[in-house]
Amino acid sequence: MIKKIKQTISEKILLTFLILLGIGFFGSYGLIKNKCLFVKKYDPQKLKFEKPENIAILNVPCGNVIIELNPNVAPNSVKRFKILIRSGEYNNVAFHRVIKNVLVQAGDLEFGKKDNLNYSYIGTGKSSLGTIDSELDKPFDFKKGSVALARTSEKNTEDSQFFILLKDAPLFEGEYSPLGKVIYGLDVLKKIKYNDKVEFVLRPDFINSFKMLK
Amino acid sequence: MRLFISTIIILISISSTKADTIYNIIKIPNLEIYKIDNSNGLKYLRATKPFQVGIRNDNVTCFNSDIKNIEKKFQLIQKNLNIYQPNFLKKINLKYIVLCENLSVSEIDAAGVPNFKMKTLIIDINFNKKYFERIVHHEVFHIINDSFKDYFNEKEWKSYNPKNFEYAECSTCTDRINLSTIKKTNGFLTEYSMSTASEDMAEVFSFLVYDKKKVDEKLINDAILKNKTSFIKNNILKISNNFSFSK
Repeated sequence: MIKKIKQTISEKILLTFLILLGIGFFGSYGLIKNKCLFVKKYDPQKLKFEKPENIAILNVPCGNVIIELNPNVAPNSVKRFKILIRSGEYNNVAFHRVIKNVLVQAGDLEFGKKDNLNYSYIGTGKSSLGTIDSELDKPFDFKKGSVALARTSEKNTEDSQFFILLKDAPLFEGEYSPLGKVIYGLDVLKKIKYNDKVEFVLRPDFINSFKMLK
Repeated sequence: MRLFISTIIILISISSTKADTIYNIIKIPNLEIYKIDNSNGLKYLRATKPFQVGIRNDNVTCFNSDIKNIEKKFQLIQKNLNIYQPNFLKKINLKYIVLCENLSVSEIDAAGVPNFKMKTLIIDINFNKKYFERIVHHEVFHIINDSFKDYFNEKEWKSYNPKNFEYAECSTCTDRINLSTIKKTNGFLTEYSMSTASEDMAEVFSFLVYDKKKVDEKLINDAILKNKTSFIKNNILKISNNFSFSK
């Protein structure tokens, strides 16, 4: 006959502690893995906008980024941007250049598409629409959240690539054609995958969708 | 294919990022904004650490400066650069002034390094006090010259010089480096004017802007200098017809 041994109180406490530790460990592992857990979500349908025709919704892995475009500052640039957004060209395009807490850049329609990602040329691709001239004359405050068209080292080479600032960059005024500003969801962009050592990202995050509200 | 991808990954991993928005624009690392709300649109930046840049082997070197030292020199630099109107600066492609000290190009001391493509002028704030203000304009001329090469034709310029006079092959391969005004000018305001045609033009321009009185005095007995000043004035006025040389 097997003699039953009763647990002492201290053994019970130890067991409970180990169970709680296990729950804590696996629970926190799950939390850490979910980079979007504490990011505030924005539903554009529940928000009111003065000019809904200028509102663009960028959906990325951690949620929506709501951008208000400003056609008064750089009309041709905003026109180009709207055309590309409405045609769905930006969907599944990589954030190929991400500098932690400085900026995120996407929009390489040639070499940055999810199904045709080309690490050798990413960042140099074009759209089928050709380049447009820089629009730099009107004042624009390049604060955190500003959205602008990217270009090569030469002016008048803007096409489809754009960047969003994660910190103020006053020297960008007069250098880049401004498109507008993020009005909700800047924190969502801080969760875009980056590499500490280089600006270009291997296995980058992608734009899920980019749409105009109206 | 695996080898190719691995090579790209290795290349990306070993190149370090210079992630800042100033570097993004003018390709000089270790800078921060010093003053950007200037009436003529010039943006002043200062080195926070030493930097090395340049097309060939990073041959331009400059060191960060004590903030108090910059404050002392800044008033002088700003006063001199404020004479240039925003439109003129836009035309000549000058927007960023980098302040640092002990500037050198290929280990030879320099007062300034202009780069019109980057719209940048690097200034050594520790350069010889005696000539410092005038030299700021000298360096501005190099930006002007680079932006309007066609206007400042060296062949025409050389034709004004005394017969048999030859410039050196380059400004750093000569010992004609004295910046003091020559008593008997004979076409050259300083010894440094005799180094190269573009340095000669820059010297004439800098005197016209900074010390026009002195040039006017010298012109009376110097026909060569008269031609040279007319050449500079006419071409500068082609760029901006309301440019004022008088101080």
